[in-house]
Amino acid sequence: MAGTGKAHLRDSPDVLLRIEDLVVEFPVGRTGLKVNAVSGISLDVLKGETLGLVGESGCGKSTTGRAIMQLPRPTSGSVQFEGKELTAMQGDAMREARTRMQMIFQDPISSLNPRRKVRQIVMEPLNIWKRGTDAERAKKVDGILEEVGIDPVRAGESQPHQFSGGQCQRISIARSLVLDPSLIICDEPVSALDVSVQAQVLNLLEDLKAEYGLTLIFIAHDLAVVKNISDRVAVMYLGKICEVAPSDMLYEQPAHHYTSVLLNSIPVPDPEVAVTKTAIEGEPPSPVLPPPGCRFNPRCPAAQDICRSEEPQLRAVGEGHFVACHFPTITPVELTSR
Amino acid sequence: MTTTLAPTTAPSAPAAAPDAPTKGRRLPKWPGLGIVFAITFLGGLTFLAIFADYLSFIPYPNEKILGPNGRPGRYDWGPSWTAWFGTDGVSADVFSKCIYGARTSLQVGIFATVFGILVGGGLGMIAGYFRGWVDRVVMIFTDCLLALPALLLAIILVDRLRAQAESGGVLGWIEERWGIAFIVLTLGTLAVAPLARIVRAQTLTLREREFVLAARSLGAKPNRVIFREILPNLIPAILTVAFTGLSVLIAAEGALAFLGLGAEIGTPTWGKLIDENRNKIDEFWWATIFPCLMLFLTVLSFNIIGDRLSRRFDIRQAGV
Amino acid sequence: MSTQIQASARDIDGPLLELEDVTTHFKTPRGVVRAVDGVSFSLDRGKALGIVGESGSGKTILSRSIMGLLPPRGTIRGGSIKFEGREIGNLDRKAMRSVWGKEMAMIFQDPMTSLNPVMKIGRQIAEPLQIHLGMTKQNALATAERLLQDVRIPEAKRRLEQYPHEMSGGMRQRVMIAIALACGPTALFADEPTTALDVTVQAQILDLLGEQRRDRNMSLVLVTHDLGVVAGHTDEIAVMYGGKLVEKASTKGLFANMKMPYTEALLNSIPKLEDRSHTRLNAIAGRPPDLVNPPKGCRFAPRCPYAVDKCVNEEPPLIATAEDPNHLYACWYPVGSEGYHEAKVRIAASKHATDALAATSAAGGN
Repeated sequence: MAGTGKAHLRDSPDVLLRIEDLVVEFPVGRTGLKVNAVSGISLDVLKGETLGLVGESGCGKSTTGRAIMQLPRPTSGSVQFEGKELTAMQGDAMREARTRMQMIFQDPISSLNPRRKVRQIVMEPLNIWKRGTDAERAKKVDGILEEVGIDPVRAGESQPHQFSGGQCQRISIARSLVLDPSLIICDEPVSALDVSVQAQVLNLLEDLKAEYGLTLIFIAHDLAVVKNISDRVAVMYLGKICEVAPSDMLYEQPAHHYTSVLLNSIPVPDPEVAVTKTAIEGEPPSPVLPPPGCRFNPRCPAAQDICRSEEPQLRAVGEGHFVACHFPTITPVELTSR
Repeated sequence: MTTTLAPTTAPSAPAAAPDAPTKGRRLPKWPGLGIVFAITFLGGLTFLAIFADYLSFIPYPNEKILGPNGRPGRYDWGPSWTAWFGTDGVSADVFSKCIYGARTSLQVGIFATVFGILVGGGLGMIAGYFRGWVDRVVMIFTDCLLALPALLLAIILVDRLRAQAESGGVLGWIEERWGIAFIVLTLGTLAVAPLARIVRAQTLTLREREFVLAARSLGAKPNRVIFREILPNLIPAILTVAFTGLSVLIAAEGALAFLGLGAEIGTPTWGKLIDENRNKIDEFWWATIFPCLMLFLTVLSFNIIGDRLSRRFDIRQAGV
Repeated sequence: MSTQIQASARDIDGPLLELEDVTTHFKTPRGVVRAVDGVSFSLDRGKALGIVGESGSGKTILSRSIMGLLPPRGTIRGGSIKFEGREIGNLDRKAMRSVWGKEMAMIFQDPMTSLNPVMKIGRQIAEPLQIHLGMTKQNALATAERLLQDVRIPEAKRRLEQYPHEMSGGMRQRVMIAIALACGPTALFADEPTTALDVTVQAQILDLLGEQRRDRNMSLVLVTHDLGVVAGHTDEIAVMYGGKLVEKASTKGLFANMKMPYTEALLNSIPKLEDRSHTRLNAIAGRPPDLVNPPKGCRFAPRCPYAVDKCVNEEPPLIATAEDPNHLYACWYPVGSEGYHEAKVRIAASKHATDALAATSAAGGN
C-alpha cells in the first residue's frame, strides 16, 4: 500500500490546493535517525470541496495539515495554494498567505489562550492585521460569534475554561473565520467531543461551509465522521496514501485492505449486528523504520512477497477512485484519459 | 502507583473530572493564618520602612538614646518602653535600625528580583521560543552561572565592582547616587540563571500548545506571539518563583552584609546589625536576636506568599 | 453471555452490586451541584453494564461514587451502595482500600496520566500483587508477565522493563487493564476507556475487555458517551441524563424498543456509514442542564423536541414498560406512545422541523 504516485491528481482550473511529493521528516534527538512522518504524498483539493484525511495516529495526517500551513515547513515537496507556491514564500508574504487558510485543532481547550477573554481571542486576527475600525471589528466578531452560537456578551467577559468543550470548538471555528479564509484545515475537530456535540459541530461546519463558500480539509481517525462530511476521502497509513475515492464509493467499495479494516473497526450501534472479531491485530509500526515495500504489509491479510519488496503505486480502480495496492479488492481499470 | 489500588492518582477535585459541570475557582473561604500573618507582617514592615522618617515613635538610626544615667552608653537598654528592641553598642535604637534596615533589605530584594526577572525571564523566553543556537548560548551561560557557588560569585562580583568604582567613571558615579546598586546588580545576577531556566522550560511547553500554533497560523509575528500569547501564561510561574527568590535574595543580602560586603557605611542593614553585635550575644542578646528575627520573619512571609501563589495558580491551571 | 455463567451467578445469592437512591452532590461556590440525583439499579455477577450519557450527565461521578473515589471534602453522599450484600456507600477511604483492586478496579480514559511515568511497567503491575496478595517479588513479576500476555501485549517479558512513555496509547491502556485485573477483581469499571484511542485500537480494547470479563466471570461497567461502543459489548445499558437514570434495559431490549426520546436522540446523533455523505446529522440542540438549578420537570424537557407543558412542570417517574418489567424509563410520552406521535405530527406540520426550540414552543402552545 501506501504508495506514491500522482494518478489521482486532477487537472482542473478549480484546484485550490495542490500538494506534490510532500515529505516531512523530524530528526530523532541526535541519533541521526529520522521520523518519516509523511513520505511523499500528493493531493489536490478543488474549490468548495471537502477532502477527508483519515488514518490511525502516527499516519501523518495531522503533519500533512500542518505542513500545508508551513508550520513547520515540509522537508521537501511542493504546496501550491491559490496558484502560489507556499514552500518558496518567506516572511511577510508567508504570513499574509497563511491568513487565507486557517486551522482548527483537536483539543478545543488547548487551542484557546487560557488567560484571555474569548471575544479578544476571536478578535485577535483582526487586530494582528489591523483590519477595519474598532467598531467594524466589533461588529464582525459579534456577528460571527452569534453565527457559531456563542453569546457575544458572555464571550466578552469569560475566559475559555468557563465554556464547555463543544463551545470552545465553536469559538475556535469563529476565530478561524474572521479573516475570511478560503481553506480551513480541521485537525480532528470533533474527536474530543461527545457524539451529541460532535453532531452539532459537524452540522455547523457544513452550514458555514455553504455560507462562506469554504473549502475544507477534514482530518480524523473515525471514517464514519469523515465520510459524513467529505466529498472525497484519502486514507493514509504510515506517511503514505493508500486509497483516494469519493466518500460514498469508499464505503461501498473499499479497494484497499486497510480501508476495509478501518470500516470494520467502527462500532455499530446495533446489538443485533454480530460483533465482528477484531478487524486487525496490533498497531502501526514505528515511522522511524518503516517496513520496506508496501508499508501496510506486516499487518495486511493479503500480503505476498512482492508487497514486502516493491512499493505499490496509486492506480485507478474506478471513476475518481485510486488505490495503492498490489492486490486490491477491486480490479484496477485502464483509464484511457484522466 | 497504580490507580486501581491507590486512588490518590484520581483527580483530587471534582472540577478535574471530565463529567463534572464547570465550576469556579475552588479556594477555601478562610485564607489561613499563615497568609494573613505574612501579608500583615510585610505590609506593616513596608509601611514603617517607607514612612519611618515621619513617624515620631521611630528615632533616627544615628540618634543617641540616653541611658538611665542620662548619658548615652553601650547597650544601655534591653527591650523596654524607652527602646522597644533595646539599644546597641553605639547607643542607637535597635528597633529603628531594624526598620531602616528593612528599607535596604526590601529594596535590594525587590530590585534584584526585578533585574533577575527582566534579564533571566527575557533570556529564558527567547531561548525557549526560538530554540536552536540562541537556546544553546543561553543555556551555556546559565550553566556557567549555576556552576559557581552563588555566595562566592557574589563576593567576587561586589568586590570587583567596588574596586572599579574606586577609580570613578560610570561605576563610581552610580555608586555615589545609589549605595546599594552593586548589591542589587550582584544579587540580580544570581537570580538570572534559575529564572531563565524555569521560564525556558515553561516556554518550551507553551510553544507547543495549539493556541500558539493558532496565533502563528493567523499570521502573528514572533514578538506578538511571545508577548500576547506566551507571556501572560508565564506570569503565574514567574510570580511564584519571584516571591520565593525574593526571600532567598534578602537572606543573601544579609549574608553579604555579615561578611562586610554590604551596602556602604551609614546605611543600616540587618546583616550588618547581626555582624556588629554577634560577639555580645550572651550579654546583650537583643541587639542580635531582633534583626535575626526580622530577617527570619521576612523570608518566611515571602515564602508563604510564594507557596500560596503557586497553589492558587495550580488550581486554576487544573481548571483550564 | 453463556448460560453457564448465568447459572453460577444465581448460585451466589443476590446481585453483585445494588444501588438504592444514590445521590452525590458537590458543594461549590455557586451552590450545590446535584451531579448524581437518586439513582437505583442492580448489576448481576459476570454481566456487563453500559452507563451512557453526555458530559455532565453524572455518569463518571456515579461510577466514582460506587468506587468511593470522590474527594471527601465538599461531597455529600446519600443512598445505599451494596457490593456483594455489604454496604460500601458509607465506607471511608481507609476501609475502601480492602475493596479496591481485589473487589473493584477501575481504568480511566487517559492511560498516560494513570501510569507512573518513572516506574517500569513490570514494577507497576507487580507492586500491588506484592502488597495485596503477599507475593514474593519473583512471583509477582512472573504473574505480571502472564497478565501482560493475557491482555495481548506482544513480547511481554521485554515490556516489563519498559517505561510508560515507550509505549503507544493502546499499549498503555492494555497495561492499565492488566494492572486492574492483577488482584482478580469481581467488578471492573472502565471510564471512557477508548475515547482517547484510534478506532482500530478501540475495537481491540473493547474485545479484550469482553474476553477478560467472560474468562474471569467478572462484572464490567463501561462508562461512555457513545451508544455504538456499548451496543456490542454489554448485556444491559443505563442511560443517564442530568444526574438521573432515564432509561435502563437489556441492550437488545433497549435498541429494539427505545422509550426515552433522549436515548433515541443519542443514537441518531451518531454518523452512520450507510448514509450518503453530507447527510445532515440529528444533533441534540442545546446543552445538558445546569445541575445547580436543574429543570423542575423532566430534565430533558428543554431540549426535547416532543416536550409539552406536562414535561416541563412534572417530573416523570422511572417506570417499567408493559412488555418487559426490566425495561425502565422516565418519560411522560415515550417513543411510540400516542403523545409522542402527536408531537411528531405537529413537528412535521411546522416548517421548522429541524429547529428543536421552535418545535418545543409550538408544542407548548397546544
